[in-house]
Amino acid sequence: MKTLVRFNFLKNRALIFSVLGFHAFVALLAPYLRLSSTDSQDSAALLQGPSLNHWLGTDSLGRDVFSRLLHGGRPSLVIAFAATAISCLIGIVIGSIAALAGGWIDEALSRVIDFMLALPTLILLLLISSFFGQDPLILSVALGLMYASPIARVARSATQTLLARDFIRVARLQGGSRISILFGEVLPNVWRVMFTEVAMQFTWILLAFSSLSFLGLGASPPTPEWGLMIAESRSYMTLNPLLVIAPIMMLASLVLAIQAMVDHE
Amino acid sequence: MKNLARRVVFSLATFIALAVVSFVGVDALPGDGCTALLGRFGTDAKIDACRKENNLNDSVVVRLKDWSGDLVRGDLGYSIKRDEQVSEIIIPRLRNTAVMAAVAALIAFPSAIVVGLLLGRYPRKLISKAVNQFSVIAMTLPEFVIATVLWLVLSIWIPIFPGVSVMPSNASLLQLLPNVWLPALTLAVVIFAHSMRTMRASVTNVQNMPFVESARLRGTNERKMIKRHIVPAALPPVVNVVALDGAWLLTGTFVTEAAFNFQGLGRLAIDAISDRDTALILPIILFGLAVYLVSSILADSLVRVFDPRLRSSNR
Repeated sequence: MKTLVRFNFLKNRALIFSVLGFHAFVALLAPYLRLSSTDSQDSAALLQGPSLNHWLGTDSLGRDVFSRLLHGGRPSLVIAFAATAISCLIGIVIGSIAALAGGWIDEALSRVIDFMLALPTLILLLLISSFFGQDPLILSVALGLMYASPIARVARSATQTLLARDFIRVARLQGGSRISILFGEVLPNVWRVMFTEVAMQFTWILLAFSSLSFLGLGASPPTPEWGLMIAESRSYMTLNPLLVIAPIMMLASLVLAIQAMVDHE
Repeated sequence: MKNLARRVVFSLATFIALAVVSFVGVDALPGDGCTALLGRFGTDAKIDACRKENNLNDSVVVRLKDWSGDLVRGDLGYSIKRDEQVSEIIIPRLRNTAVMAAVAALIAFPSAIVVGLLLGRYPRKLISKAVNQFSVIAMTLPEFVIATVLWLVLSIWIPIFPGVSVMPSNASLLQLLPNVWLPALTLAVVIFAHSMRTMRASVTNVQNMPFVESARLRGTNERKMIKRHIVPAALPPVVNVVALDGAWLLTGTFVTEAAFNFQGLGRLAIDAISDRDTALILPIILFGLAVYLVSSILADSLVRVFDPRLRSSNR
């Protein structure tokens, strides 16, 4: 017991990267693993425990839990990658422009960022998804726009500290235009500083989408998605607790591994 | 003082601007109270009659003027879909959420401050490391996972609390109380982790300051050291976090309330959004905004009260 507590699993590099590797492997290769179909329903085998045919049992519609579990991270991961890319693009460009331009442009952009930060994210997401349909593309763009403001804020301050550094001054003295300085000197360096922030953002977006699915407004049935699987199976927890424990373990291990990797850097 | 007045004015302006933006934004969504009421059975003629009756055919500007006028007079509006005054729908739910938030705050904040202090003071103890890892996990996981785990453990495996709450929104306090525990515990886990880590970091920070070192060299005993020197200096950042977490307890509870079917404001917001009951969505958004703005002012002013260094520099 003592060694178990002493073993800091959040700081063990090998463990973190093998968990991340496992998730990458599963997310990329799930469709090619010759698993049973995620949608085929076996009405003769509802809510069964683990067996040779169904390694983790079946859900309330007789679908194979193991197969759904391995596919269940893909929708959130795709959306999280897309939304993070959008938020980085917008956030870093706006943030570094604000810092580079200074003056009233900086002031105006900062106010816009503050305004966006005050918006109630989850309510907006629910509204968008309820009124415009649960389209992954719309949700990615919406998530990307909403999560751009924290990135912009960090990018702005990172750029400001960069601007005081010698190599930027040299670039300016050499007569570089603002745009060439932005793309040549600022962005490549801001990117390095921003990694932590972006990785954190990625997990938040992932969890936001899972929470939406849990509320019934993210992934729509019969898509296998961890949040949705948890929501669908909660009423059957007494009969087969694996139905909720398995997706919880997948979601938790993925998010904790990303978090631990970020802390490690 | 001047600073505070300026912030209040600025927040008020932000609130008004966001209120207008929210009104126009919600108005621009496809569908209104009448289509929500009549659903797919609404013929054009019926919808038109309903719109006429509720003055929905006026231009956005006219309706915005009417709506804001009513709002100033304390009238939150009327839900066509639910055929009820918005205030009558919201107030009982707000009470439920407030009770839940109060229970969560009473569980989480005092324990977070004590545990954070102990963890900061004795970081090498085994139990400190275990609690610390637990708090990292609790902070990372989404509420619906924490809610489901608590439900599984505290309602199914060890049946202490009822799982899904079955109660009308205007249940008496006595009926409400058993249903409050699980959602309140879920919220408490989240804010405990958050405020405990702030307290721990703050204590660690204070311990390295020269005045603590000098007190130690004077031979101050542990009790006095904690009471007189460490806690007063470590509290200000925690007060800030407590104010912001308190605001979150009132406005960030959608997922938790939905997980336990708890009849609070968050659950209502989700229902209103799925029903596309726009008249009900708006006041809930505005309430969230108001709480957010008030709490951030409160957080900064409280820090000034607790931290003498900031007070003197302001004069």
